[in-house]
Amino acid sequence: MPSYELALMLRAMPKGELKKTLTRISHAIFNRGGIIRNIENLGFREMPYKTSSHGLVHREANYFVFKIDTATQAVADLKEENSRDVDIIRQRVFKVQEDKQHLSCTLPEELLPPAYRAEVQKMIEVGKTQVNRFTYKFKYNSGLDYYPFQK
Amino acid sequence: MALLKSLILRNAFLITHRALVSTIRPSSNASVVEDDDAPVEMENPFKKERVQCILCKLNITPDYKNYRLLSQFQSPYTGRIYGRHVTGLCKSKQALVEAEIRKAQNCGYMPYYYKDKTFLKDPKLFDPENPIRSHRF
Ligand SMILES: [Zn+2]
Repeated sequence: MPSYELALMLRAMPKGELKKTLTRISHAIFNRGGIIRNIENLGFREMPYKTSSHGLVHREANYFVFKIDTATQAVADLKEENSRDVDIIRQRVFKVQEDKQHLSCTLPEELLPPAYRAEVQKMIEVGKTQVNRFTYKFKYNSGLDYYPFQK
Repeated sequence: MALLKSLILRNAFLITHRALVSTIRPSSNASVVEDDDAPVEMENPFKKERVQCILCKLNITPDYKNYRLLSQFQSPYTGRIYGRHVTGLCKSKQALVEAEIRKAQNCGYMPYYYKDKTFLKDPKLFDPENPIRSHRF
């Protein structure tokens, strides 16, 4: 089961209702055979832009992030169920990025003058294999008995 | 009398000085000198240190939940994400930062067209007025 992050914006509501909403969301995850690793509360704050959902305009929201492990096929189902929930303003599901081994910084290579950069050298090599449209001249003895372009 | 005394004293000093020099000289004439002057194996002292971008140096992976860090790569006037020529990040980190900013904006953590006013006084990671490469903005 891959790990996902479920970023939710819940509408402004009293603590008791919020608790009920969170349990409802978590039960929906458990019912589909998922696991909740962690629930992060990013607090109640003003949104950077107003959002309308379920016929209401919201300017503040409770921010929550669920870290879950669930089957890939259950995700669409979960999203569909959450979209019907009037307490959820907005939801986004992201796949958790795996920790890549720390690659060394390529900044010094990128700061070189263009002629020394590998990508520019490659570009020049590719350019050499192409026909130069500015200097190319059609040869009349190419086997065609007509001029193929407009004169 | 006093003048004579001082003269004697100076003479004595000169003599001792000469004696000191004469004792030092023969030892420096030994074969040790040749060894000291021989070339020594060492690393190139003029080799430049490998520069790193700030995120690689501090080993930070940008994350959409850390919107305070991400907002430092945003213009305070237009909310536009600064390019690589301004931020001074390497290609991979710049791509990551841009992707995470898009995510954060989409999740409602970060505004699109301005910078959060509580983050306006955050320390500057780079100077947009002096980009690494010139640009047309
Ligand atoms: Zn880097």
